[in-house]
Amino acid sequence: MIELSHLTKVYGDVAVVHDVNMHVEAGTITVIVGTSGSGKSTLLRMVNRLVEPTKGRVLVEGRDVLKMPAHELRRSIGYAIQSHGLFPHWTVARNIATVPMLLGWDRKKVAARVEELMELFQLDHVQFADRYPHELSGGQQQRVGVARAMAAKPTLLLMDEPFGALDPIIRGKAQADLKAIQRRTGTTILLVTHDMDEAIHLGDRIAVMNGGDLKQYAPAADILARPADAFVDDLIGPADRPFHYLTLGTVRTAVEPGEADGAPLAADTSLYEGLGALLWSGRRTAPVVDASGAALGRVSLGGIADKAARPR
Amino acid sequence: MIRDLLRPGILLRLVVFAALVAFLAAPDRFAGLLAPLTSNGAPSIYTQSSLIDLTLAHLFTVALSTFAAAVLAVGLAIFVTRPAGVEFLALSRAIVNIGQTFPPVAVLALSVPAMGFGEAPTRMALFLYGLLPIFENTLVGLSTLPPAVVETASAMGMTGRQRLLKVELPLAMPLIIEGIRLSAVIGLATATIGSTVAAKGLGEVIVAGLLSNNLAFIVQGGVITGILAVLISDIFTAVARRATKRRGAPSAAARTEPDGRQTSGA
Repeated sequence: MIELSHLTKVYGDVAVVHDVNMHVEAGTITVIVGTSGSGKSTLLRMVNRLVEPTKGRVLVEGRDVLKMPAHELRRSIGYAIQSHGLFPHWTVARNIATVPMLLGWDRKKVAARVEELMELFQLDHVQFADRYPHELSGGQQQRVGVARAMAAKPTLLLMDEPFGALDPIIRGKAQADLKAIQRRTGTTILLVTHDMDEAIHLGDRIAVMNGGDLKQYAPAADILARPADAFVDDLIGPADRPFHYLTLGTVRTAVEPGEADGAPLAADTSLYEGLGALLWSGRRTAPVVDASGAALGRVSLGGIADKAARPR
Repeated sequence: MIRDLLRPGILLRLVVFAALVAFLAAPDRFAGLLAPLTSNGAPSIYTQSSLIDLTLAHLFTVALSTFAAAVLAVGLAIFVTRPAGVEFLALSRAIVNIGQTFPPVAVLALSVPAMGFGEAPTRMALFLYGLLPIFENTLVGLSTLPPAVVETASAMGMTGRQRLLKVELPLAMPLIIEGIRLSAVIGLATATIGSTVAAKGLGEVIVAGLLSNNLAFIVQGGVITGILAVLISDIFTAVARRATKRRGAPSAAARTEPDGRQTSGA
């Protein structure tokens, strides 16, 4: 989907992004994580040429982005940012319709697409279509921003700290919604964040940037198990590591035969939530049921603890 | 709509406008009102030219020069905020500043030998004088747009031209209108001096009053100009407010960054 080779951006004497090579698989969520000044946003912006690379090459679906007119390239790639950048003088519907209108879709098709997206992002069409951005809450503005980015059905979506401006509760929901929508549409997402939790929660693969270098690029589990260097280790936070690890698996993977008392856990609950439920209810074991409610066995504190241990 | 018209502010302006129209339509009827301002039986209403003609000529001169100033100033401000024109910013500023610093009277004096007597020197003076407020306001409007909004416009795939026409100009519009309002109001007052070089306008009435020591002439010329200035200013303000209202708080988009992080950061 995306192929970055020897990608470099130099401002003055400083290489903000230095010789990055990366391959992003179609249909996945890849999260670029790093501290501020690590070059993660610059890297993202070179994909749709908001920043022109100093050196190196970007291929999107096999096409060299530097050989396409910038505005055509950008119309084919969705883009959403932290402060959503909604056009304040346009209604919600007109905002979402931005790219389809630029592409010259006919009016009916645009209207249908806007309605479809508003439903997808749980924005009531009757209530919100004709409102202006400043009349919406932060969470609603953010959803409109992402809906706008996906309006022309791009196969690739770039997101720069899309949830950074949201409070923790809305952020959690927005992340879950994005993941669900991504699974449904199969859109490839390249997302930038400084938040390792968000990276682990969303990313099929995680790219860690520091000082312009790509330090590590691997699935979340690998990053947690085998951080490439002290910086990556720091970013994860050694104390949180086993807990992060538990968020990646489901209770289903720790089911053992047997019975237990108390409220059952759903098999698709994350190990992390399962651990929390056991600790808080003061139990050592809990029954596990599948989606239909059929008993699968039980899960124990020890069983979950085994899953949190560093893999060998 | 009806309810809008009944708001006290609007009602007052409608009354003032009606009075102005009534006076211009038949000034003679108001002769008695202005008579106490005259002495020795001098006429209290200016009759050398029709007041309504002078008013329309005055408005036309101001409209023409303000329009020309707006076209050039907005065009120049757009040009110097494009990548290709950035280098010309200082130069353009200097030029429009000279236009504002140079007194209109001096412009009149200097342009009469070249352009002759009549409206042309006045229009030239007003045009030069009107450039600065429009230029500076447009410049501020175009250069203080929320960065996230301008960047997203590009990121959505707008061309430079589409970004200007669909996003930047509409968002800068309240400030641009404010600049035009300033120029129009200043122009309306300044245009009165045009009569010293034989331009048709309300200055003629004031100058006649000064020459013949007729306070009634001075007052009617001055009051008509003043009322026009206030009404025109109000119309521009109302239009600008409409443009602002539709998009909510001026930079709502820029203000929703709780941690102050700039979206353009690395």
